[in-house]
Amino acid sequence: MGVAQDSSADPPKKNKQNRSNDGKQILHSAIDKEFLAAPIKSATDKFALLPEFLKVRGLVKQHLDSFNYFVNTGIKKIVRANDRIVSGVDPSIYLRFKDISIGEPSLTMDGVTEKIAPHTCRLSDMTYSAPIKVDVEYIQGSHDQKTRVEKKGVVIGRMPIMLRSCSCTLYGKTESELAKLGECPLDPGGYFIIKGNEKVLLMQEQLSKNRIIIDMDKKGNLNASVTSSSERIKSKTIIQMENQKIYLMLNQFVKKIPIMVVMKAMGMESDQEVVQMVGRDPRYAALLMPSIEDCAKEGIHKQEQALAYLETKVKRFSFAGASSENDGRVMTVLQDVFLANVEVCQDNFRPKCIYVAVMLRRIMDAILNKDAMDDKDYVGNKRIELSGQLISLLFEDLFKTMIAEVKKAVDNILTKPSRSSRFDFAQCIIKDSITHGLERTLSTGNFNIKRFKMDSKGMTQVLARLSFIGCLGHMTRIKPQFEKTRKVSGPRALQPSQWGMLCPCDTPEGEPCGLIKNLALMTHVTTDEEESPLISLCYCLGVEGLEVLSGEELHTPYSFLVLFNGNILGKHRKPQHFAAAMRKLRRAGKIGEFVSVFVNEKQHCVYIASDGGRVCRPLVIADKGISRVKEHHMLELKAGVRTFDDFLSDGLIEYLDVNEENNSLIALYEEEATTETTHIEIEPLTLLGVIAGLIPYPHHNQSPRNTYQCAMGKQAMGNIAYNQLHRMDSLLYLLVYPQRPLLTTKTIELVGYDKLGAGQNATVAVMSYSGYDIEDAIVMNKASLDRGFGRCIHMKRYCAVNQKYDNNTQDRILRPNRDGFDSGPMRVLDDDGLAAPGEIIRRNDILINKQVPIVTRGQFKSALHDSEFKSVPQRYDGPQGESCVVDKVALCSDKHNNLCFKFLIRHTRRPEVGDKFSSRHGQKGVCGTIVQQEDFPFSERGICPDLIMNPHGFPSRMTVGKMIELLGGKAGVSCGRFHYGSAFGEPGGHADKVEAISETLVRMGFSYDGKDFIYSGITGCPLQAYIFMGPIYYQKLKHMVLDKMHARGSGPRVSLTRQPTEGKARNGGLRVGEMERDCLIAYGASMLLYERLMISSDPFEVQVCRVCGLLGYYNHKLKTGICSSCKNGDNISTMKLPYACKLLIQELQSMNIVPRLKLAEA
Amino acid sequence: MDPQPEPVYYICGDCGMEIPLKPNDVIQCRECGYRILYKKRTRRIVQYEAR
Repeated sequence: MGVAQDSSADPPKKNKQNRSNDGKQILHSAIDKEFLAAPIKSATDKFALLPEFLKVRGLVKQHLDSFNYFVNTGIKKIVRANDRIVSGVDPSIYLRFKDISIGEPSLTMDGVTEKIAPHTCRLSDMTYSAPIKVDVEYIQGSHDQKTRVEKKGVVIGRMPIMLRSCSCTLYGKTESELAKLGECPLDPGGYFIIKGNEKVLLMQEQLSKNRIIIDMDKKGNLNASVTSSSERIKSKTIIQMENQKIYLMLNQFVKKIPIMVVMKAMGMESDQEVVQMVGRDPRYAALLMPSIEDCAKEGIHKQEQALAYLETKVKRFSFAGASSENDGRVMTVLQDVFLANVEVCQDNFRPKCIYVAVMLRRIMDAILNKDAMDDKDYVGNKRIELSGQLISLLFEDLFKTMIAEVKKAVDNILTKPSRSSRFDFAQCIIKDSITHGLERTLSTGNFNIKRFKMDSKGMTQVLARLSFIGCLGHMTRIKPQFEKTRKVSGPRALQPSQWGMLCPCDTPEGEPCGLIKNLALMTHVTTDEEESPLISLCYCLGVEGLEVLSGEELHTPYSFLVLFNGNILGKHRKPQHFAAAMRKLRRAGKIGEFVSVFVNEKQHCVYIASDGGRVCRPLVIADKGISRVKEHHMLELKAGVRTFDDFLSDGLIEYLDVNEENNSLIALYEEEATTETTHIEIEPLTLLGVIAGLIPYPHHNQSPRNTYQCAMGKQAMGNIAYNQLHRMDSLLYLLVYPQRPLLTTKTIELVGYDKLGAGQNATVAVMSYSGYDIEDAIVMNKASLDRGFGRCIHMKRYCAVNQKYDNNTQDRILRPNRDGFDSGPMRVLDDDGLAAPGEIIRRNDILINKQVPIVTRGQFKSALHDSEFKSVPQRYDGPQGESCVVDKVALCSDKHNNLCFKFLIRHTRRPEVGDKFSSRHGQKGVCGTIVQQEDFPFSERGICPDLIMNPHGFPSRMTVGKMIELLGGKAGVSCGRFHYGSAFGEPGGHADKVEAISETLVRMGFSYDGKDFIYSGITGCPLQAYIFMGPIYYQKLKHMVLDKMHARGSGPRVSLTRQPTEGKARNGGLRVGEMERDCLIAYGASMLLYERLMISSDPFEVQVCRVCGLLGYYNHKLKTGICSSCKNGDNISTMKLPYACKLLIQELQSMNIVPRLKLAEA
Repeated sequence: MDPQPEPVYYICGDCGMEIPLKPNDVIQCRECGYRILYKKRTRRIVQYEAR
């Protein structure tokens, strides 16, 4: 995203330059004490790297990178792997996909193809997608006359395109070009537009694949598990230690298999060799002993015996009757399913044996030393699945399905004895299945891919467009894949390893707390990288391959195993040397910048990873504690001759993933670096995410307050995008006069919050006033509200369709009758029967004067008479007594060529008592009362606050940051400079210190502590205390009374229970719930209870038989109640019952339970 | 339906042309082919309340 740049980098720099200029002027002007007192900056200020990083990588680069990878590489790989459709009838007839590419986003309508812009799709409910084009080669004709034909650019479907990805029209466009397309230049992209809805594919967090994870299960048994994932198959292998014996658990076997049997089945017949492979240490051998004995007891010594044993344990196909199906299945299971990530070439099981041995060794390490257990919550053991990978899975499934369908269709045609037309393979390609599959999955979010045993719901979400920052925050969100771990606290806790990778503040409260995470500012998520060159490089650098190693040599001391993406490559005798060489090559740009090299001293392993989904972040490289980035580099960056990528390729900066971070010593600041330091943090504020970055002085707040603010910042009203007034969202909240915060942070400038703010700088007096400010309520100044403080626009969209029906009839829209009894609600209609923009609209006014034919099915009808229509006008259901305005009316045609109308209704609201406001420090409160400015306190200078906040909000919340914000804001307005409050910014000069702020305040004639001398607005006397007063950035939250206010006397009821309906939308009643009922019982207000729960709810008269206690009925002819089981009306009593109770009795009866009522005299 | 439906003018979302449309006309700008049209603002006098 090249967005935040132009303005963001500059202001701080300018300040600095000004300062140095000041320094020169010292000689002949007043002495700048602040400048003299400032410590000499020895360390280079690396902050400028951050905007540069964001310019190159952008805020949602993970999504874009992953989608780009899919479009450019992933999709081609999938097609290459499944490139042939061969007819089952005649194998010489085939179709081959030679190449695949994704075209430009376009729309084909009535045979005309035109390019489309994303905004058009949003407005007219289309999918922003591009054709998937393939080059094919196929055989035409059959029998004797076969010709090979090549065709290019055959469209096999349409792929939804991620905005701002490389195949998007917006890619590489300048700000003005984007504006021309109706797009906001600050919009991050990274989402899809499906049927007019913006959909985000959330990042999925999961345990890493193909890695050995040692952990303890519920019974206290040690498990070594590997979730293997190869191109062909996915499996999970668990090796478990139970009662001293080691077993293999695989879902292909019916029960646990002793591990030694498996080893023997793989040809490792010698127990000694197994022991050698695990390690010569006698402790290992002792631990392995019971397993070896167990195997010997079974009498299994040879490979054949082991295979025969396994043959009895393997799961049978129930449907395959013939034993031939199951013959040799053990071998295939061992080869393909068991540890599927280790490949077996030419029946050589040795790599697999070694892999098992390493797993065994890890288990034994864990027994001998509890530290060797893996932590499942450790970020290094996590992989983040991105949109590209998910779409790639989806596409692969759909593509394979399509191939199967095509094959079936072709075979069908070929088996037909007589064919009229010539056979053309290309015509059999089915176009719609891929398009619809992709569109449906992305719009519902239900990924149900049977081929990969994937069935997850809620993978996509509608992009939150409540505020600009909420939208950004949505793009960085990470969702856990498995939500089983609800009760345990482990996965929810803050992990030390997530430092700098995941934001420590930004997580929702309540049920998903700690499970849903957000990326930090500089985090990058890797995509897959080509493996084979890296593997051969490893061998070149002295890795001894497995083939040349005996079991004994495997674990010789001082030699480390080398694992590449979880597979054992071999061993290296000088691991540190090897790692250093790899890193050197990476820094030189010879291998990918995201390849990680991690030496694990404990496990005697070197892990090299190039797989996708690892989180990593850039760090400055330091040699013996001396930063490689020097002053001149930063000057070059400033001059624009050096970019972030140059820093990377010159080996000044590198990406580290969580594992490799463990091999390095990272200094927070350059001054703190020692000789052991290997890396220096670029900027400490990057450890927070986008949303937490908006909080000024977050490091002075109590941490939960920052978390609360992260949740509230997403609900704040403000500007959504530059194109906000051209959008037709179903609900839009806008602030009328949004401001940029007086107290900014660096993050605010980087993400563009200063351009699309969501709040206003309010002058706040921290004092008690009137008693309407208890419990966090705010007293507001009426004059401020008149001036536009907190005024917001609420825009709602109403849709109507002019439907066409099967019997050739269609809806019609009538001209309104201007006079007559119903002309009142038709006031706002134009001659075309649609509400006109600019008109004031009230509740129950008609938006569209539509009529629907009464008969919409059956045979064709040509012209319909007026009597064959019924009137179904759509009415406006806004709030009563408010005047709303029709803002915009758009006409477009939808997918089925029906005419579609969209009305945008605007309502401007000023704050009222009960509206919710919050500062940026998790301090929310409702407006308690609105007071005339005349009664408001004022200072000597005549400054009158916009709102008054109760001081009780501070002691228990400990939001010191808010106080500093007030001070800084006050200094800011008085001296005319935006002050900064970046996280941890004081040492780096990115946050103004309180001391400096106080000095400014004093200079501007205020008290150093921000307190003012205040007169009471009511009496005119000075107040007894000085009042802490100054500007604080306040957000108006979307919760407004007008939307919630609701009451009813009588109204609709649910037909089933005859009780009042629930909810405001259904004009429901307010429930006296269980707890309220308890209170009334305890108090003894029985008549009130009787009235609430019966009379005013669902009273019902029933006939009860006093003999059998069952319900009877009332016979209207005989005018008596009759018991249907006693067959008479002798002992019938009439009584009142809640209808729900009668329903319960009858429902129980239907379940064969007989409730009987026993009546007594009351 | 009215005997002679008067065309109502709409504004193209792309080029801003005024396009007269009758019932059952295709929603498309005649100049640039854009498929989203907007209704023109009411010609009646409206008085808003500014509070």
